[in-house]
Amino acid sequence: MSARSIPVTVWTSARRSMVQRAGLAMNATFYAIVVAVLAGLWRAAALSNDGTIAGYSAAAITWYIATSEAAIVSLNTRLIVDIGTDVVSGAVVVELLRPVSVVRQRVLAEVGRVLPRLYICALTGAALCLLVGGYPPNPAAAVLAVPSLVLAVCCNIVAQHAFASVSFWLRESSATWFLYQKFVFMLGGVLIPLEVLPVWLRHAALATPFPSMGYAPARLASGHFQPELLLMQMGWLLVLCGVAAVLFNRGEHRLEVVGG
Amino acid sequence: MTIVVEGLSKTFASGHGKRRHTTEAVRHISFTIEAGERVAYIGPNGAGKSTSLKILTGILQPTGGCASVLGIVPWQQRKKLAARIGTLFGQRSMLWMELTPRQSYRMLAAIYGLDGTRERQRIAMLAELLGAEDLIDVPVRSLSLGQRMRCELAACMLHDPEVLFLDEPTIGLDLLAKQRFRELLVRLNEEQRTTIFLTSHDVADIEHVARRAIVINHGTVIYDDDVAAMRRNLLSSKVIEVSLTTPITPIFGPGVIVQSHSDTGMKLVVNTTATSIRTVLDVLLDGPAVSDITVVDPPLEEVIAEIYKQPHR
Repeated sequence: MSARSIPVTVWTSARRSMVQRAGLAMNATFYAIVVAVLAGLWRAAALSNDGTIAGYSAAAITWYIATSEAAIVSLNTRLIVDIGTDVVSGAVVVELLRPVSVVRQRVLAEVGRVLPRLYICALTGAALCLLVGGYPPNPAAAVLAVPSLVLAVCCNIVAQHAFASVSFWLRESSATWFLYQKFVFMLGGVLIPLEVLPVWLRHAALATPFPSMGYAPARLASGHFQPELLLMQMGWLLVLCGVAAVLFNRGEHRLEVVGG
Repeated sequence: MTIVVEGLSKTFASGHGKRRHTTEAVRHISFTIEAGERVAYIGPNGAGKSTSLKILTGILQPTGGCASVLGIVPWQQRKKLAARIGTLFGQRSMLWMELTPRQSYRMLAAIYGLDGTRERQRIAMLAELLGAEDLIDVPVRSLSLGQRMRCELAACMLHDPEVLFLDEPTIGLDLLAKQRFRELLVRLNEEQRTTIFLTSHDVADIEHVARRAIVINHGTVIYDDDVAAMRRNLLSSKVIEVSLTTPITPIFGPGVIVQSHSDTGMKLVVNTTATSIRTVLDVLLDGPAVSDITVVDPPLEEVIAEIYKQPHR
């Protein structure tokens, strides 16, 4: 295995997404509709209050929703189910016959697939926000939101691999996917900014990796200059990589024992 | 020796307590394979072929015995072994449908640690060898199954493996594509000295690719010899096809079955342990009615079916 395999895998996988132009267009359209509806609702709530909601102005909440949704819509949200299907069907066995870690290769490939979709969603979201909400409330924070968005999808992809590894034991993954999705939407600050949640729940959420997958870039894009959010994401990414690697290795060992 | 297998066993267990059930998939299998051999590893469904293949590639850990491939114990150093072997599963693709084979090769080459120059050399060489020069820049989804399998073969040969493990590689291919694929395997073996370990249910794969056949059933090796010797050693019968100028009804001794008979010809199956071929030919040639005679071995398919029927030892 060479260091060259990392950029080559990411780039080759990105090309897979890029050749599927209709898929990219559909994804961007779906994203634009979701952002228009959710941002419209939150803006209405803010404007009917005192112009703000949980400390977010109408403009800030628009940037928040556009960013958090970009981090989610650009992903293959059924990745856990897809991985589980590959484990149960034995397709993963072919990947065991390569001189690289299966989970490492899968994560790199998935990151590559997501990046073109993320790029298009981010551009679409920025255009919508400029049209409806104006410039980003804090340009410096908005610049930090770009790497934060990439870290958010990386955290999410790695976490999905960690959760999906239960299919090595349970031979089923749809229940895990259902649970995971709810965690990301509620505790990740995707549908609702964490500031709207009760204090105890907000603290509980911040102790989990889920805010790294939506809240962190959205908070930055909505004008809150908090570089520590990037550190939080990097920390969780390392932890999640370790957990996914350990669980996948154990899962592979289980395949070695009971058959592929 | 390239592959050494000694007393290899694998037992699968399921359930707990009184419901615990064990299945012996592989039982004390032993064989050796030398570099450059072309070996067919065959057996009926559930015989233990796939389990053995998975043990030899490091995916499964045996419950007993030992094995080494290229001096490496597969289940202990799977990744190290993976860099030196190639694997092709007929029903699992290594190529991405949306991309061209060359784009997938690029990623595979990087995984196997080939630099850019070596990658281009190997792709060019394999494309020429496999007659795939016109295919490697076409999206995989636009290729026929036969064309795709040629590109898959190039993919698993990209890192110049010393041993090629093939599991049902011709499944789903049409007759011509199968024939071409078999020729390519033989060519790869002869030009690159790649050891070929093939499992297949297609008798023609065995007949045209392998020189040696290892037959397993009920988890044990029940036959291990040259493919050419299989018919000779295992079936004591011959088929005689006779063309007639005038209708005759000869009387044969025991062990001769008239499979078909018409005014212009007949087909006989002779059990050579009961009656010699010479005796049957003497009876047939004792008169002017015979215009042509052909003595052939029974089809390999029948030979293998006969081996499978052998009782569970």
